[in-house]
Amino acid sequence: MDKLSQYLARDVAIAKALAYSGVALVVSLVIAQGFLMGFIPPPSPNLSAEELAQIFIDRKIGIRIGTMIECIGFTFWGTWAISIVVCMRRMERGIPVLSYASIANAGGAWVFFLLMPITWAMIAFRPESMDPKFIQIMNDYVWFIFILSWPPFALFMIFIATAIFRDHNVPTIYPRWVAFFNLWCAVLITPAALIEFVKTGPFAYDGLISFWFIYIVFFGWIVVMSMVTVKALNRVAARAAVTS
Amino acid sequence: MKALLLTRTTLIWFLLVGATLVSWELGHGVGLDSAAAAGAAILLVTFVKVRFVVLDFMELRGAPNWMRAIAEGWIVLCCALLIGLFLVAR
Amino acid sequence: MPGEEGVWLFIGGDLILFTLLFAVFLHMRAEQLTVFTEGRAQLNQTWGLINTLLMLTSSWCVATAIQAARRHQVQVTMRCFGGALACGLGFWTVKCFEYSEKLSAGLTITTNDFFMLYFTYTGIHLIHVTIGMGVLTALIFYARSGNFDAAKLRNLESGASFWHLVDLLWIVLFALLYLVGAP
Repeated sequence: MDKLSQYLARDVAIAKALAYSGVALVVSLVIAQGFLMGFIPPPSPNLSAEELAQIFIDRKIGIRIGTMIECIGFTFWGTWAISIVVCMRRMERGIPVLSYASIANAGGAWVFFLLMPITWAMIAFRPESMDPKFIQIMNDYVWFIFILSWPPFALFMIFIATAIFRDHNVPTIYPRWVAFFNLWCAVLITPAALIEFVKTGPFAYDGLISFWFIYIVFFGWIVVMSMVTVKALNRVAARAAVTS
Repeated sequence: MKALLLTRTTLIWFLLVGATLVSWELGHGVGLDSAAAAGAAILLVTFVKVRFVVLDFMELRGAPNWMRAIAEGWIVLCCALLIGLFLVAR
Repeated sequence: MPGEEGVWLFIGGDLILFTLLFAVFLHMRAEQLTVFTEGRAQLNQTWGLINTLLMLTSSWCVATAIQAARRHQVQVTMRCFGGALACGLGFWTVKCFEYSEKLSAGLTITTNDFFMLYFTYTGIHLIHVTIGMGVLTALIFYARSGNFDAAKLRNLESGASFWHLVDLLWIVLFALLYLVGAP
């Protein structure tokens, strides 16, 4: 093995660690938001302000610890996304338009992720002395940030799919079904836009479609992409070893 | 051109339009006396239409057996589920 | 297998979502039977019927386009895809009339649970129609250069399968929203 491919092997190892960080994100979400905060599923948007404030008073210690963990876990969005962009860069020749667009997109989307636990942590900081109406608005804000911010994420999925369709490598770095999987996810998270209109039922932000279905699709997408990206990176390393 | 018009696809199109008109009549109280029976019949006709679309338009008739089995299985299950849920309401 | 594997993954995934949506509709209907029966009576069945016929015809056009492509008839293929696209435009137009009729009658997404589901389900379907029309437009340009070899036919079949899915979903939506449950 020459020096260059040794270098590349180490780069690939780092990129694989970044790809696995997506799994860490999902695990921290389940632990922090599910067990510690009890926000899977969310409190109903139909609750009165007083009922909601009581939830934050009762669970404030769990929410403080949970948000702390989630701040760390959600940071991995950026690292995980870059592991995919690294593969996209190798699919594009000429001007790497989709790679650049994805980097900007992933960096912007990262802000939405971190705003969620930070806002919750602020509510749990002094929930007893805060006006319940204010707690209600801030809690709505968290869920709106999370669910209504679907377009940049859908766009990232479309970028990935486009890059795979245009991949010049033989065989392609990702299998082609990954492209369709991403398009499918992009279509499936669109009903998220409906949470603005309703407070109960399947399209409310705690509903069967807008919460459960979209949550499972979105975080399932992160886990699936982690797995296929690790495999793709292995192929990149193997191919480089052969050509050098 | 004529060869393209006189095809199985065209026959299926006529069948689908016919089935649509049948379910339209059923939805307007023609044929069956009870609304429950009419509703169940409409759903059944609907999934017969779905089966034609899947097998002939999407061309799963000539697809590998496992694929066709999944498609037919979904059609039967979804149809049974919806008719069941519909009849529960009565 | 018609088209490529990935398209079928997409279609299967979409059918999972819609099976869920159909079941949710009938489940909520069972809980609020009067609201849903009255809501159904306020829909204009004729618009629904016209749209169903448009969808079926567009599917016929797409299926015929594929058969023409297999016979290397470039012009016929393009015209058939064009016909399907026109049906899609017709579907959109009818939906615009229908929505404006509902909105001017004061029936909106917040009126009751029936209209919430009516607007969301037809809205999600209309997104599919729009994407499908984009696919059809792409297929017209793609077919223009002819040379229908195996790879090209497979890509055409992939796009066609998506359009048939849009048709299939509307067939079930039409029955659920417009027809089932007349008193």
